[in-house]
Amino acid sequence: MKYFLYWGCSLEGSGANFLVSLRPACEALDMEFEEIEDWNCCGASVSYAGANDLAIKVLNARNLALAEAKANYDIVAPCSSCYIQMIKVNREIQEDPELLKQVNECLAEGGMNYKGTIKVRHIQDVLYNDVGLAKIKERVVKPLNGLKVAGYVGCQSVRPYGEYDSVEKPVVQDRLLEALGAEAVPFPRKIRCCGSGIFLPEIDYCSELVKDILEDAIDHGAKIVSTVCPMCAMNLEMYQSRINDKYGTDFDMPIVYLTQLMAVAFGMDPKKDAALGYNVIPPEGVLQAALGH
Amino acid sequence: MEKQVGYNPSFAQEVFENVDAGEEIKMCMNCGVCAASCPLSLHMDYPPRQIFNMIRAGKREEVLNARSIMLCTSCYTCKVRCPRQIPVIDVMHGLAHYAIKQGILTRKATANFGREFWNQIYKLGRIDEKDLSRRAFFANGFLEGIKSMLNFSDIGIKMVLHRRMKLLPEKKIKGIDSFRKMLDKAGQMGKGGARA
Repeated sequence: MKYFLYWGCSLEGSGANFLVSLRPACEALDMEFEEIEDWNCCGASVSYAGANDLAIKVLNARNLALAEAKANYDIVAPCSSCYIQMIKVNREIQEDPELLKQVNECLAEGGMNYKGTIKVRHIQDVLYNDVGLAKIKERVVKPLNGLKVAGYVGCQSVRPYGEYDSVEKPVVQDRLLEALGAEAVPFPRKIRCCGSGIFLPEIDYCSELVKDILEDAIDHGAKIVSTVCPMCAMNLEMYQSRINDKYGTDFDMPIVYLTQLMAVAFGMDPKKDAALGYNVIPPEGVLQAALGH
Repeated sequence: MEKQVGYNPSFAQEVFENVDAGEEIKMCMNCGVCAASCPLSLHMDYPPRQIFNMIRAGKREEVLNARSIMLCTSCYTCKVRCPRQIPVIDVMHGLAHYAIKQGILTRKATANFGREFWNQIYKLGRIDEKDLSRRAFFANGFLEGIKSMLNFSDIGIKMVLHRRMKLLPEKKIKGIDSFRKMLDKAGQMGKGGARA
């Protein structure tokens, strides 16, 4: 199974543990990746402050066109912002020939063209639907032994289209966690927003969102939170000490990417493959207790 | 005599013609599901449905200066739940862009963060996270910039120590010149107008 991997800007920086763990964990499941050569940023959530809607669409159409000119693989976008920006533009273009014409008029300025033939997929989608739970279970050599995980889905990995999971009650991440041997705890706030791209400038308003999410995870017995989004991971992990100062809480909750848990359960190197050293709140203790050594 | 509410269609017309997704508000029936779904609606001066009504009532200054239009976290809950299929998020983004373009910076830090985000895309083709936060902090003024840098230095240090910050400066994408031409064209053609 070969895919284009569009990892985006965050996964080279604040979300590095996602990309570092994703490659070995997915390659162990016979997924092959090719980079979209010379890709550009998707515009993420906040570029509307500086750009009109068409310009943001053109950003994404350029990446789609670069992929289309190369091969007919599906694009896997692990970052939920990259995913939503790209799939949104792709769907709107496919539904509206007039928009496709406009976008292509802009792409033509750089000698490019997009026909609209590429499919955009989320990493959870391909793991669940292309690889499948059976194959993932087969690959597990160190099952997570009922480790209580809160599977934090966030927003943009399922909304608004619900291509592969429910937009109100998503289950795919929980099924994937269970395939690794974990217990996915009930977690009503799993689809509530963490503040995403405006967390930093609106930290006074957004820290309460994160506090509520972490409290909900703890109230349901979670020892660790898994996520599939670099904004979720950043906001939930990096600002915990700030939130403790502000609300008098004592959060010390490890926040890991789903792919980090995959690498651990697949028996891979905890440092090199699971990238656990990238975490600011160390997850090793909780994981070692679950693995029994 | 019954009290009458003034109705001035000129601002609605302005929004339909100049704001990305602006015409979508025609479908709004003011049910308030967007307000109930929004994670930050408690901090908004007017929830989305009220913004839409104010556009119809011609309250130009109130709408363009509203805190609400700058507080979208882009979670798409409103779009998913709207019974009239209005992409509320797209309208809010369109209004934010339009207001910033008129020089209205009601949530200055957020507006500057978004503008610097776009500037960096235009300059490099990609985002350099460390440079973005620095530029966004200093866009709020020199003293504000120093204050924010000091305030967030502990997080910055943690990120460096845990290899969560790319230390090398981000390079321009290879196709930067043609990339900018495409974006310039989109700036001219798009309904929301050129760069804010």
